[in-house]
Amino acid sequence: MKLLLIVLLPLAGIVLPPVLVRAGRTASAWAAATPTALALVLLAGMAPTVFEGGVVEASWPWMPALGLNLAFFLDGFGLLFAGLILGIGLLIILYARYYLSEDDPMGRFYAMLLAFMGAMLGIVLSDNILLLVVFWELTSISSFLLIGYWRHRADARQGARMALAVTGAGGLCLLAAAILLGHVVGSYQLQAILAAGDTITASPLYLPILGLVLLGAFTKSAQVPFHFWLPHAMAAPTPVSAYLHSATMVKAGVFLIARLYPALSGTEEWFVLVTVIGLATMVFGAYGALFKDDLKGLLAYSTISHLGLITLLFGLNTQAGVIAGVFHIINHATFKASLFMSAGIIDHETGTRDIRKLGGLRHYMPVTMWLAAIAAASMAGVPLFNGFLSKEMFFTEVVVESERLGGIGWLLPVFATIGGLLSAAYSLRFVHDVFFGDETGALPRHPHEPPRYMRVPVEILILICVVVGVVPSLAISTVLATAAGGVLLQAPEPFSLALWHGFNVPLVMSVLALAGAVALYYQRDAAERWHERTFPAFTGKGCFESVLAGAIAASRRLTAWLDDGSVQRNVVLVIGTAVVMAAAGGITGGLDAGSRALTPAPLPAVAVWLMGVIATVVVALRHHDRFLALVATGVVGLLSALTFIYISAPDLALTQLSVEVVSTVLLLLALNVLPKETPHESSPGRRWRDGVLAVAGGGGIAALAYAAMTRPLDSISRYFLETSVPGGGGHNVVNVILVDFRGFDTFGEITVLGIAALCVYALIRDEAHTMASADTEARHPRMLLIGSRVMLPLLAVVTVYVFLRGHNQPGGGFIAGLIAAVAMVTQYMASGVHWTEQRLTGNYFPMIGAGLLTAGFTGLASWLFDVPFLTSTFSHVNWPVVGDFEIASAVAFDLGVFLTVVGSVVLMLSQFGKQQPPVEGR
Amino acid sequence: MSEAITAVFILIGAFFVLVGSLGLLRFPDFFTRLHGPTKATTLGLASLLAAFVAYAAGTESGVTVREFLITFFLFITAPVSAFMLGRSALRRRVDSVAPRPAAIDDDEAEDDPA
Amino acid sequence: MLTVTLYIGFAAVIAAMAMNLYRLLAGPTAEDRVLALDTLYINAIALILLVSIQFADRIYFEAALLIAMMGFVGTIALAKYLGRGALMD
Repeated sequence: MKLLLIVLLPLAGIVLPPVLVRAGRTASAWAAATPTALALVLLAGMAPTVFEGGVVEASWPWMPALGLNLAFFLDGFGLLFAGLILGIGLLIILYARYYLSEDDPMGRFYAMLLAFMGAMLGIVLSDNILLLVVFWELTSISSFLLIGYWRHRADARQGARMALAVTGAGGLCLLAAAILLGHVVGSYQLQAILAAGDTITASPLYLPILGLVLLGAFTKSAQVPFHFWLPHAMAAPTPVSAYLHSATMVKAGVFLIARLYPALSGTEEWFVLVTVIGLATMVFGAYGALFKDDLKGLLAYSTISHLGLITLLFGLNTQAGVIAGVFHIINHATFKASLFMSAGIIDHETGTRDIRKLGGLRHYMPVTMWLAAIAAASMAGVPLFNGFLSKEMFFTEVVVESERLGGIGWLLPVFATIGGLLSAAYSLRFVHDVFFGDETGALPRHPHEPPRYMRVPVEILILICVVVGVVPSLAISTVLATAAGGVLLQAPEPFSLALWHGFNVPLVMSVLALAGAVALYYQRDAAERWHERTFPAFTGKGCFESVLAGAIAASRRLTAWLDDGSVQRNVVLVIGTAVVMAAAGGITGGLDAGSRALTPAPLPAVAVWLMGVIATVVVALRHHDRFLALVATGVVGLLSALTFIYISAPDLALTQLSVEVVSTVLLLLALNVLPKETPHESSPGRRWRDGVLAVAGGGGIAALAYAAMTRPLDSISRYFLETSVPGGGGHNVVNVILVDFRGFDTFGEITVLGIAALCVYALIRDEAHTMASADTEARHPRMLLIGSRVMLPLLAVVTVYVFLRGHNQPGGGFIAGLIAAVAMVTQYMASGVHWTEQRLTGNYFPMIGAGLLTAGFTGLASWLFDVPFLTSTFSHVNWPVVGDFEIASAVAFDLGVFLTVVGSVVLMLSQFGKQQPPVEGR
Repeated sequence: MSEAITAVFILIGAFFVLVGSLGLLRFPDFFTRLHGPTKATTLGLASLLAAFVAYAAGTESGVTVREFLITFFLFITAPVSAFMLGRSALRRRVDSVAPRPAAIDDDEAEDDPA
Repeated sequence: MLTVTLYIGFAAVIAAMAMNLYRLLAGPTAEDRVLALDTLYINAIALILLVSIQFADRIYFEAALLIAMMGFVGTIALAKYLGRGALMD
């Protein structure tokens, strides 16, 4: 339970900051910090268990049939990540309080940050791989919102969209991988999958799984060639960059690689794919960072590079590589987050983050300078800071690995050294160009130190950098061993974290890298010229956009091919397909009449049907006269209702009659704004085609119905008839099906109805016509006025009557709702919008809402009695005078249906009615 | 006895229903056609309802208020719909065998300044 | 005796409905069509009443009531449309 709370606290806390921001910005920050801190305390409470080698687990079934459970587990690796997410999250919340300006909506920012935090915690604590994918996509979405936080900026919107497209696509790959993994292992439980490494690597599906998992991880962690979204994500506010794009979200990719390490690693394919991509990303990112003039752009490319380094370490398939990788995850999170925050401080206090404009800031912000310098030194791998240690481990590993590989293995340490060199060079540039050198005089603002508490988060992180860097074994080795144990599924062999390992190859590489970096920095102008000559402008963004444009064009072509906007063509395709498929079925399966005896056809019924046929034919022939078509369709509707009565379907007849008049009113409202005649457009050939298709379709349905009805039929109706009274407490099977047996469907349908009504309102609302119109005899003839007002109570009585008896006899909430709606619409027609809305109500939203809530709560009430949603209950009551009758909880549900139908129908019709152009006669 | 009354009412009702619709079919212009259905048919329906009441009175189920509700309803609505249709026809000046009354145009002008 | 009169009644009502349909389709004015539809609704009630007597069943009465109501509302909607164009003003 506590484990679930850790994930839920930030998610539940989403509502707090936007509400409390009214009490001030600090209150909003506290509102965000409180759930985070609580979750951190809970996590700390579980830490001792994990340090002793235990695993905390918690699981609830969610959709067990799909294998999707709300399962969480906390091991060493999860603990490390959860701690990073919550700890750095707290610092970011503090930092953002001072970073965001007065104009930025702070409540929204914290709400989205908490949403992201919850999703990220979900990823690292999930014990179900499907659940992990769900949280994975949630991080993509919340990151999209956070990058696009300044929604008025085009670059923010574009960057957000790009990040969502790339990481979202990766998420889909991951979902496919998760399903394949579940298929191979036979369980979606993550721990089961991790324990089944041998089965997975031996499976023929191993390569697809590996490819899909790596696509998910590489897109999230911005590995080459999917790196390009990260620099554009720098349009986000700096706290977001510090949190998502250095410490947490981009680490989700390497988290996934590490988490699935026991399941997927150990093979040649793993080694080649992960190592090569990691190496390429590391060198490419470091090279890119060197030439960025934007502080955050530099840091973004540096992040890409360091993520590549971590990826590479996990690709080596060695225990020491895993330990180094985990160690670098920690170190990178601390120094990179503090660097981002320093960049944010510089931006905040000077108004720019362009390196070319910055310089000499050491005079104005000495403390910030020291903080940034230490963080950058750590990033460069200077001894005494934590970055040095993991870099040394990295160098050691690549040297060991190159000896094992032989052949071209020497490339590994060479490229590693180049990467280290570039990394040190851009770190040097970050510090020297900004804080040293001469003032450029191009600063938009006069720089000074930031507010006290804006610097505190940076100071805390820097403290960690230094402590870990100086006394590593004391500070971090237990954490590291526990976390690495989580990745490896066993306690790692003892390792020593020390500053001094003697004179060896890695040390030489370090020295080379640092010395080379200084040399490169002093030749930076020459290097830049060389860079511009060698690599003409080629950006990942351009590539992405051309791919995107291509995809959009292709989907447009596909859509245009399938649907050219002609309704006639679509109907022809649909009916034609149905006719062809049914004909194929009839030819292969045989279509002959059954053996049941036919019942005699009474003459009146035949006559009624004949009239229906005549009216239909006339509609088809003379549809250009719209009014005639409408009236003749009304005939068909009425005759259908008579048919329903004849075949003993009174509920259907009542519904048909009510719907008929509602649609007549609707069509008249539409006719009023349309030409009275439709133009003649169809060619004779097309008329023949349509005619043949119509006859084939209608005749086919008739043949099918004949074939079905002449066969002995045992349908589900028998079951409904038998269980209606004992199961649903009603004698009207139709109504019992609607409110009980298929209550969930009905609930969905009224929800859709309500949404549709709101959409109609949103599309055509116009307040202009609700004004009082002249109440003249010409507009509202007195006779109609009085006639309709006499009718209103009568209709109300009928409505109540039809509603109440619905459970046992023809009627029910839906039909009653339609009748009430017709009664109200009649008032609109007789007395006008103004009069009606003064007396009834012009606001139907509460009615729709109340209806949906009533239906929903009736369903939920079932839970109080420990039965599934919408199970109805009923009992037999005996009232004096009224007598014996059944009262079912379904009546409350039916009331919800009633309210929603009335609200929706009247809202739609009255809204159309208000749109009528003021036409005088015709 | 009840059966006989039922039969008589059915015959009366059937007659008026037929005559009403015959009027709708045969009269020369809309205003004359308006007579048939709104008068004769309403009367025919009332007779048929009476037939049903007579019939139900003879069975054990007895007579209920619902039968009268329909009659009541039709008697209120039939004049209103006839009025509305006639009014619309006047406004739109549909062909009429009788001359158009002059008073109508004055009303129109008064009602409808536009 | 009742059976025979019922048949006469059915014949009369069906004949009346056929005449309504003719007027509805032939027009000539739009008012004629609406009037014919209104009459058709009323005759449909007559048909239902006859069926109710034939089968001695009241279950059709709600439908008859609803036809009366909906027929009226439909007619005034159509008439209002013809008269002024605007249904609700």
